[in-house]
Amino acid sequence: MTTIIKFIFCFFIISNSVLADNNKAAYELYKELRCLVCQNQSLLESDAPLALDLKKVVRDKIELGQSKNEIKKFLVDRYGEFILLKPKYSIQNILLWLGPILFLFIGFFVTFVFLRKQSMYKEEPLPLTNKEENSLKKILDNNVS
Amino acid sequence: MKNKLKYFYSYTPLIVFLILVLFFARQLILKEDPSELPSVLIDEKFPSIILSELEGYKVFSNKNLINANGPSLVNIWSSWCVPCKVEHEYLMSMSNNDNIIIYGINYKDNKAEALKVLDLNGNPFYAIGADQDGMQSINLGVYGVPETFIIDRDGNIRYRHVGPILEYDMEKIILPIINKIKQERL
Repeated sequence: MTTIIKFIFCFFIISNSVLADNNKAAYELYKELRCLVCQNQSLLESDAPLALDLKKVVRDKIELGQSKNEIKKFLVDRYGEFILLKPKYSIQNILLWLGPILFLFIGFFVTFVFLRKQSMYKEEPLPLTNKEENSLKKILDNNVS
Repeated sequence: MKNKLKYFYSYTPLIVFLILVLFFARQLILKEDPSELPSVLIDEKFPSIILSELEGYKVFSNKNLINANGPSLVNIWSSWCVPCKVEHEYLMSMSNNDNIIIYGINYKDNKAEALKVLDLNGNPFYAIGADQDGMQSINLGVYGVPETFIIDRDGNIRYRHVGPILEYDMEKIILPIINKIKQERL
């Protein structure tokens, strides 16, 4: 009798942990997928009818034992890459991923050129001429007295 | 030389501004709706879907699209969808005046309500299938009713229209594509 109870107990623990894993996988996928109705929300945030349907698709496929990548591929094949909130690392997206770094370097370059030009233009002021020297002296003397 | 270079630098803000103007003008002039998604299924086989019967109407299935005599339309609609009601008139016109075969997919609808709409407004569809839980339409990449697909003789998707077909869409987009498909391999 006790063995049966132990067995049932173990069964529940195992099935619960499987359930928890499935929920976690589903939750992670919801966050990575775009709701196509309210287009800047993830499936997780959206309650649009289509989002609910897509969540059901994701959950069913996880229960069937499909991997996250398989499920993503299934949806991308039907809805296009737009359904992924994070764009893929691919040749078409190269500007999207490397653009910020590119612009940072352009910024560095412009700053460099600007600073160098400034230092190049920095010239020693010409020494005062005799006439200027005299007038300066006059002003200073006046102020003192 | 130095002066000339300086002269050029003073124009940089203007040049950057003009580039930005071009960039924004492109979006304004093209009037592309960025929220409208292109179908990934263009030039692909129409995916296999299983639809249930709407009492009294021929059931639409993939068999209809294989070895068709000409191009056809597949329209996803619902009785609760207001733009579908606007579109209905143009579907009727294409079905009656242009002899285009239109298949209907009734999306997540109450069957009684769907039948009522067809009784009241007329039936433009050669055959109809019901997708009651919306799961079949996911295979098509449907994200908002109404949507319309143009299918060629070989059962390949040639065009997808998101939103209602209005007079302009019918005359300038749908019918030209249909005519183009009709002229292929004649």
